[in-house]
Amino acid sequence: MNVVDLVYGKLVLVTGKGGVGKTTVSAAIAQLAAAQGRKTLLVEFDNQHPSTTAIYGQAPTYEPRSVAPDLWVANLDWISALAEWVERVVGIRRIVQMILRNRMVQRFLDATPGSREVVLLSKLVWLCEEYDLVVVDLPASGHAVSILQIPWMVKRLFATGPIRQKGEEAMALLGDPGSHLVMVALPEEMVVTETLETFAKLRQESPVLRIPLVVLNQSARPTLDDGESALLDRLSDAIGDDHAAADLVRAGRWEAVLERSTAEAQLRLSQGLDDVRLLDIPRLSREHGPGRLVRQISAALARSSQVRP
Amino acid sequence: MNRAAIPGPPELLRTRSLVVCVGSGGVGKTSVAATMALWAAQQGRRVMVLTIDPARRLGNALGLKKFGNEETRIDLAGLGLDAARGGELWAMMLDTRSAFDNLIRKMAPDEQTAGRILANPIYRVMSSTFAGTQEYMAGEMLHDLAASGRFDLVVLDTPPVKNALDFLEAPSRLTRFFDPGIIKWFLTPYDERKVFGRLVAGTSAVVFRLLGFIFGKDFLEGLSEFLQLFTEMVDGFRERHEAVMNLLSSRDAAFVTVCAPNVASLEVADFFARELRARKLPRGGTVVNQVHQCGEDPLDPRELLAQAVQAHGQDLPAGTQARLLARLGAAHGRLREVAGRERQLIDDLAARLDAAGGFLVELPRLEGEVHDLAALVDLGVHLFED
Repeated sequence: MNVVDLVYGKLVLVTGKGGVGKTTVSAAIAQLAAAQGRKTLLVEFDNQHPSTTAIYGQAPTYEPRSVAPDLWVANLDWISALAEWVERVVGIRRIVQMILRNRMVQRFLDATPGSREVVLLSKLVWLCEEYDLVVVDLPASGHAVSILQIPWMVKRLFATGPIRQKGEEAMALLGDPGSHLVMVALPEEMVVTETLETFAKLRQESPVLRIPLVVLNQSARPTLDDGESALLDRLSDAIGDDHAAADLVRAGRWEAVLERSTAEAQLRLSQGLDDVRLLDIPRLSREHGPGRLVRQISAALARSSQVRP
Repeated sequence: MNRAAIPGPPELLRTRSLVVCVGSGGVGKTSVAATMALWAAQQGRRVMVLTIDPARRLGNALGLKKFGNEETRIDLAGLGLDAARGGELWAMMLDTRSAFDNLIRKMAPDEQTAGRILANPIYRVMSSTFAGTQEYMAGEMLHDLAASGRFDLVVLDTPPVKNALDFLEAPSRLTRFFDPGIIKWFLTPYDERKVFGRLVAGTSAVVFRLLGFIFGKDFLEGLSEFLQLFTEMVDGFRERHEAVMNLLSSRDAAFVTVCAPNVASLEVADFFARELRARKLPRGGTVVNQVHQCGEDPLDPRELLAQAVQAHGQDLPAGTQARLLARLGAAHGRLREVAGRERQLIDDLAARLDAAGGFLVELPRLEGEVHDLAALVDLGVHLFED
């Protein structure tokens, strides 16, 4: 399993702890797929602060918008998704509009367990029919798990009716051989712990999901040799805290810590995740803006499996 | 802008009885929450730090493995801290499901009703997976902790942005569901259809056919039973929810936004500033965490460190000294770039914040990670020194 499977798959779901770079990695995967000529959609789920705005310079809307050849972006807000859902499932537009205007109905639907998620997952099923590949930038791990387990909840809760049926369709999509989950992590102890926990939970709650790839973002490959490490340690002890020389030593230690944390994270992740490919992405400068960062990550993904960037 | 008039973190933690930490993920929110709780306990207050985070992060930050819904006391003396002032530090991880079950047992008119609710399939799913339940129960837990009188201060750590917004929104979303209006609206056709016959037909008959079509008849029947059982408890729920909202908006409470010096996290901080202002919730201040420390001027490692390197590196292989010097120069350049960009972002943030937004405090990125109590004590030094 590798990046090729993702790019030539049907659905990629991306999650990870908050702040790990889920959006950047999602966009990089989507751009890589688009570069192969696959008609690709990058979506967020009901995000009030769409993260892809910073990358493409404009807030994504419910209707997919083209941002590059073969690449579209969208943000699936649930009210629009609900309107479309009811319209497609019930079929009569006038009645639907009248009913959805009823405040009680809105409140009822909003509050009914699972209805939000089923509506969004149904939309995902439809989008997967329209696009070659749909890449979903999911919310942070805990929330993502609760969305992904919804089809199973629906199965327990609804014996009949369209919610049940749509839930089953969503379950079939999640279990499709072309559907994959990507987890993004950072070389930090707590992030690694949460990644391992989420992985275990997903294996349990959503067993049909394939997790082919864990992306270790912002990692630093080891460059210090033993002699340099030893000398750096001695300097740290010898130099006090208060002058310019200490700033230099601190900068060296800062990078040494990043390298050490990366090695530890790689060890823990490879021990804790069976049959999962681990891919490290180097720490890249953010100076040139999010668009450039996405292109660089996309290139790193491409190198990892000889895909044309 | 006169920041001198704004109470800093120390005063806040000495005087308030509820501090809520909000912010985006990955910024060390839990560590900051725990640091504040630890410091207040050192000042002699009895403090509870409560997290509703599903990933058990606080457990990590406090170096504890697991602590379900139980209050865990943390031994201050064992940390070499002054416990003589009578301060206490407690921690709790919210277990939504069992908290909800306990609440039902407490609020139900009798055991039989409680038993039927607990067995209802819709309740069972809702209490563990319904978006917002977690936040709702956190509010409940705050209510209980505040009412117990056992703590002088409760520090609440919230999940990352999307959920944290729910934290302000969801309790009302959930109580709206238990709203007598919506319950009556929903139950009426089932209760009184036979009595009123065609009178209640018309719009609601169409709506119910639609709901029945969407959700299936079985589900509507289960829901109907669930809501009927809940009806008697609705007033109690609403009262408690109002009490929680009063608690959160009182002068005894303060919201502290925790962020990191990057664009995405600061956008979230701005969002919280707007939300808290709009909701008239008491804003305590902003903590910018994980700030890289580095002087602004370029430094020449050969000039500053050549002697030290020679003194300490004589036994090391040839070339090691020169390589390390070159590396330190390059690393310093990168660190300077990072720190400079962060400085600009923090200055911009300071210019945007109004005085009513409270204090603005920076915390340095500590070497190594903050996952034990000793590291929290370290962080506290930075947070509370003037």
